[in-house]
Amino acid sequence: MNNQPSSRKLLTWFNPLGRNPGAWAFILNRLTGLGLTFYLFLHLIVLGRLAQGPQAYEEFLELTKSPLVKLGELLVIGAVIYHALNGLRVVLTSFGLGIRQQTQMFYLSVLLALVGTLVFAIRMFAG
Amino acid sequence: MNNPPSFQYPTGPRPGETAWLWLVKIVTGPLLVLILALHLTVNHYLGSAHSGLMTYDDIVAYFRNPLIPAIEILFVITVVTHSLVGLRGIVLDLNPPRSVLRLINWGFGLFGLLTIGYGIWLALVIASKST
Amino acid sequence: MPEQWTLTLRLYRQKANEAPRYDTFTLQVNPDEYVLDAVERVWAFHDRSLCFRHACHHSTCGACGMRVNGVEKLTCITPLRAVTQNGAVLTIEPLRNFPIVSDLVVDMGDLYRKMERVNARAVLPVTEAEIEHPASTWNPEDAQYLRLSDCLECGLCISACPVAATTAAYLGPAPLAAIQDQGMRRHPELLPLADSEDGVWRCHSAFECTAVCPSFVDPARRIMDLRRQVVGAKLRQVFGK
Ligand code: SF4
Ligand code: FES
Repeated sequence: MNNQPSSRKLLTWFNPLGRNPGAWAFILNRLTGLGLTFYLFLHLIVLGRLAQGPQAYEEFLELTKSPLVKLGELLVIGAVIYHALNGLRVVLTSFGLGIRQQTQMFYLSVLLALVGTLVFAIRMFAG
Repeated sequence: MNNPPSFQYPTGPRPGETAWLWLVKIVTGPLLVLILALHLTVNHYLGSAHSGLMTYDDIVAYFRNPLIPAIEILFVITVVTHSLVGLRGIVLDLNPPRSVLRLINWGFGLFGLLTIGYGIWLALVIASKST
Repeated sequence: MPEQWTLTLRLYRQKANEAPRYDTFTLQVNPDEYVLDAVERVWAFHDRSLCFRHACHHSTCGACGMRVNGVEKLTCITPLRAVTQNGAVLTIEPLRNFPIVSDLVVDMGDLYRKMERVNARAVLPVTEAEIEHPASTWNPEDAQYLRLSDCLECGLCISACPVAATTAAYLGPAPLAAIQDQGMRRHPELLPLADSEDGVWRCHSAFECTAVCPSFVDPARRIMDLRRQVVGAKLRQVFGK
């Protein structure tokens, strides 16, 4: 009878099937939040090289030229834009603003995140 | 079949998260949007960075302006706070036992302070290299 | 002669200490009948051991909530036509986030205890109801007239809520909506329950409750409004009224 709430069911948070846009927004917000937290600490550790002087930092810069790292950076950019815009959506609705437009606001957040990522992708790979 | 109730009500309200903590998350959020915009413009857009990352010399040059380390320090404080309060919110969704929650409170608090301390130190070290 | 559909019902079955399974039954239905009618027909003509819950058959008792093709529905008012088509398979499962008693019947005791804990109103003065009736058209003496509160305590919102899946301690949409209905100003004793880790802050704005609520509760909007009320009450506490 495994139908009661249980902390072992945490993966159901991320299941988008049979859910509504509001839940997709929640899922994406949680995923990007977790991802960005991970990235934040990675970023802080890596920047520690700045303290070690130019040598160490330039070595790291070389590393960032690999396409894989660039792809990762794009993911971070998309996640930041989405998390920021959806966060504003949550703030607004939490104060009773735009509750009826919450679905549209979610789609707008995704759209702008995609456009933003694309713009950065073009700059990154073409520039 | 006799399923025991999965949770017994009435129970006392548990102040693991309150309006204040939520406000911290909701205030640091929009603040971060602003600071992040500055952070990104300054560090990844201006000067040699327009195609990606800045060179070491450029960074050091930028940090000569005292406004830059100030922004970075403000950034590290808000972003670390926001991320740890958010992470704690996710953990709370799992209904942790009180003892575990207490551990998390102290652990996250200490970790956050150390990270912020490290961030401030880093900003000051870079700033000092430019003088 | 009313329209006839052939429908295959795929029903979740589980009895004490048995592994869950799905049983299928093919029946003739009129598409304008309701999902509950089809389930009842299985019980009446195919399998008398099928357990399911209902009473009123007209969206008042809140007993007949089930998941129809994965989505929470009040089955007594959900026309078959609205959820499936001729010749299709219709999957019916018990609500999520409540212990299963037998087949499609879940134990909703948790929800009822929570509703009691927040003193949810079963009836309220018509003048306080959030219905589309301009408040100015009420006279003060109309407050003597009561109407049933919108919430049926059907539990669909709890079943749909992604947060309720991991913690039974979370009050959940219907009880939080019941606190909002009473108001922080008039019922400050409810403030600690709302301003709690299991209260209004556990909601992460997935808006799933409002999507499935078969009544006019709109629990998500009420939770958001309760947040505003709670923040207001806390600020009043600090700054003294
Ligand atoms: S709020 Fe709506 S979905 Fe939830 S129990 Fe009440 S009537 Fe049912
Ligand atoms: S049977 Fe009463 S609400 Fe459906």
